[in-house]
Amino acid sequence: MTGPAIDVAAWSSPWRWKSPGDKLLLSGGLVLAALLLPTWPASPAVAAVAVGLALGPARVPARVLARAARAAAVFVLLGTATIAVTWRSDDGGFGPTVTGQSLAAAVDTLAHTVAGTAAVLLLAATTPMTDLLAWARRRGVAEPVVDVAGLVYRMLFVLLATLGAVRAAQVARLGYVDRRATMRSAAPLVAAVLVRAFDRARRLEAGLAGRGFAGNLGVLDDERPTSPRFVIGTVAGLTVLVAGCLAVPTSGHVPVLPW
Amino acid sequence: MHIAEGYLPPVQAAAWTLAAAPFVVHGGRALIAEVRERPESRLLLGAAGAFTFVLSAIKLPSVTGSSSHPTGTGLGAVLFRPPIMAVLSTIVLLFQALLLAHGGITTLGANVFSMGVVGPWVGYGAYRACRAVRLPFAVGVFAALALADLSTYVTTSIQLGLAHPDPAAGVPGSMAEFLGVFALTQIPLAIAEGLLGVVVFRLLGRVAPGELRSLGLGAAVPAPPRQAAGASGSGE
Repeated sequence: MTGPAIDVAAWSSPWRWKSPGDKLLLSGGLVLAALLLPTWPASPAVAAVAVGLALGPARVPARVLARAARAAAVFVLLGTATIAVTWRSDDGGFGPTVTGQSLAAAVDTLAHTVAGTAAVLLLAATTPMTDLLAWARRRGVAEPVVDVAGLVYRMLFVLLATLGAVRAAQVARLGYVDRRATMRSAAPLVAAVLVRAFDRARRLEAGLAGRGFAGNLGVLDDERPTSPRFVIGTVAGLTVLVAGCLAVPTSGHVPVLPW
Repeated sequence: MHIAEGYLPPVQAAAWTLAAAPFVVHGGRALIAEVRERPESRLLLGAAGAFTFVLSAIKLPSVTGSSSHPTGTGLGAVLFRPPIMAVLSTIVLLFQALLLAHGGITTLGANVFSMGVVGPWVGYGAYRACRAVRLPFAVGVFAALALADLSTYVTTSIQLGLAHPDPAAGVPGSMAEFLGVFALTQIPLAIAEGLLGVVVFRLLGRVAPGELRSLGLGAAVPAPPRQAAGASGSGE
């Protein structure tokens, strides 16, 4: 049973053993840099740093990053195209058009999104969710909320496997040959997954009750110590990035546009 | 339709986070109270959250020839109520941002507001309204799921329109653009999700009546057959 590719990469990354707080500092700093600094040159710089760190020291496979980027691409491209198209109202009538201003806004947004997504992926592809949840528990997030989030994380793999098995059986019975068949198959698929999710919860409950469950789902928490070297490197790197981006004169938009 | 990381200006990202926060805190308190009263319910809530996440892996045919996944906000609201959905949606949207690159961290508040607050409340409101005027359960479910999906998409379009006003037509023009572009997939998807919900509840009423009753949805459970002899359940 395998989960999302980013999760698999996170478990096998050498950065998995670093403190989640350290990685949050790095990733969060890059996200904020991409969001708050002038788009040019900050966004390409943040994207380059995030991708470089992911592919380099964190050893995240390039195909994992590419797959993740593809997942985000549909919304990003559709949204960016919508920003690029504006409305003209002149002697030639009223209709959609693309202007230099609208295109610059679209390219700015695209750059922000690529940089921000790369920074988030750096965290996601190096930190398993269980580490983040344990970190959140230690930082005082309410225990029941962390417990439920942990259960969601652990159960979603079982449910994804169930979904895959039921869907494979439906495909073998030509359940998805056309749109009508797809709609007819989707409903039993949803119902089957929901029933199995409840059944799984009931069986977990019975298993825990047999072990004297007293309302605490504590698991071993292998706390990673903060690395002063990593933190100093992160702060120094972010400082250089911010200073470098602020030193470059920019209008905040694409420097050169042909129209 | 998750707003990607970096897509919203910082001030608006913060504003949507503040707007969603009271609902998430209220949902969190409801969840904590529920778990303190019945510790075993955290397992059911975990299953509900995982189910909501997995819904994003189910593809429905779209009018453009591509496929899209149901939002699940209406289904979750009818099954688990909107306050719980606010906190479950936050967890699920965070997981989707980190595990699937759907959405983002700074845009989490905006996504939670549309999918975890507006969608579930509109869907649940439609469901309750239909039940109040004694419309059939299936009509209530259809209205809940379809309107939850539609309201989520309208809210997201408003968020995007506010973030990226059209240079010529301003915020209204931009909202109209986003509504128009996403309508192509979202309106058929909302109808498909509504129909899907009706069939799902019909199946659940047959195969999981106990679960539905435990969630306070006894109306979905079909009445016992008058003639038990010879009755046979059809396969899924």
